[in-house]
Amino acid sequence: MDAWVRFSAQSQARERLCRAAQYACSLLGHALQRHGASPELQKQIRQLEGHLSLGRKLLRLGNSADALESAKRAVHLSDVVLRFCITVSHLNRALYFACDNVLWAGKSGLAPRVDQEKWAQRSFRYYLFSLIMNLSRDAYEIRLLMEQESSACSRRLKGSGGGVPGGTETGGLGAPGTPEGGLPQLALKLRLQVLLLARVLRGHPPLLLDVVRNACDLFIPLDKLGLWRCGPGIVGLCGLVSSILSILTLICPWLRLKP
Amino acid sequence: MDAFTRFTNQTQGRDRLFRATQYTCMLLRYLLEPKAGKEKVVMKLKKLESSVSTGRKWFRLGNVVHAVQATEQSIHATDLVPRLCLTLANLNRVIYFICDTILWVRSVGLASGINKEKWRTWAARHYYYFLLLSLGRDLYEISLQMERVAHDREKREKSSSQDPLKYSVADEETEWLQSFLLLLFQSLKQHPPLLLDTVKNFCDILNPLDQLGIYKFNPGIIGLVGLVSSIAGMITVAYPQMKLKTR
Repeated sequence: MDAWVRFSAQSQARERLCRAAQYACSLLGHALQRHGASPELQKQIRQLEGHLSLGRKLLRLGNSADALESAKRAVHLSDVVLRFCITVSHLNRALYFACDNVLWAGKSGLAPRVDQEKWAQRSFRYYLFSLIMNLSRDAYEIRLLMEQESSACSRRLKGSGGGVPGGTETGGLGAPGTPEGGLPQLALKLRLQVLLLARVLRGHPPLLLDVVRNACDLFIPLDKLGLWRCGPGIVGLCGLVSSILSILTLICPWLRLKP
Repeated sequence: MDAFTRFTNQTQGRDRLFRATQYTCMLLRYLLEPKAGKEKVVMKLKKLESSVSTGRKWFRLGNVVHAVQATEQSIHATDLVPRLCLTLANLNRVIYFICDTILWVRSVGLASGINKEKWRTWAARHYYYFLLLSLGRDLYEISLQMERVAHDREKREKSSSQDPLKYSVADEETEWLQSFLLLLFQSLKQHPPLLLDTVKNFCDILNPLDQLGIYKFNPGIIGLVGLVSSIAGMITVAYPQMKLKTR
């Protein structure tokens, strides 16, 4: 009970719960439609989803200030690539929230002349840019960690004596390879890279969580902007998964990726 | 901006801010309605008020658990009167939140067979009992505080060897009232959390009094006291030391 009180005292936590519920409704609605449930039930689910969406817009009023604060903090990072990626991502997020506030004003009747479609498209565009920046930052972090890991591996193998049979660990990773080999060599190289990636991600749960979350989130604006129509089922599932992962980062703060 | 972000990151902070907005709209509507040519503004204020009020329900979902936890905590209060008042108050708050959740279920369309008026009356009634009991506890604490201040004053007067018999018998009643009010003012000045809590509960109680029809107020008064109590609530969130602690 104490855990719920502490969790729900953060306004972001409540917003994430509503997001999870919204995408669960979307997924449920799609599943019910596929299996031919009663139109009454479908209407109820759609209505609940609409209420959740509008409620979330109200809960998010003022998040622009939060995103601008985060952007201000990110400007002081030491690494240039990280500084650029994170700052631009937060700025895009601030613009997304601003568009979202305009949409709320339109939906709640304060500014009835707001063109809902246009502002919705704008907000999804900013959201997409922010997610692309997040994924670029994740890719950069993964690249750095992979380089660290592979150099650590080669140091360990050099230190344990040169007689490693087959040299599968160091074989494809920067040793001056023989000019022949072609496809099998490439396949081996690829396999090694994938194994290294798996190792890096397994050793860094916050990074893995962030990558999965951003990848799932990416489907939502791609679908809404019409760039890649995945269908409401996939969008609902991805939204639900990413909401659950972000709730996890709120419950366990050590799972949050620190710059 | 950093302080604003920290404030709005707390659910209660954001909720109080929206509540202040809601009651400001109510107050402004009351002030602008009689004026000609302001119909559009009044309409927009009404829409803002209703959408903020609907949206605030999301902040209240799950507060049943908060109220149950508060009940558990209040059982351990040291003094008998606060223990009794707070436990009963929090139990009423639990019932209020349950009624509120049922009203939410009805408003999102999940269950259409719910009698909105009946549950709304129940919610208002239990909220009213909660506020009454909280005010009871506040009055008890004020009386304790006044006793303490009077006792301290007596000790100071005894030690400063002044002649206390300065008042004439004819002015005894007004002097008694004056000294009572002075004592009350001094006690509350020394104990800002108690003042804040009393003001908040007193302002809040006017709303259920109006809703239950016990005493009708005009919407301007309701808006004003709602705004004052929301500001008091925001102060307790922004400055946690201003929150009245249970001893």
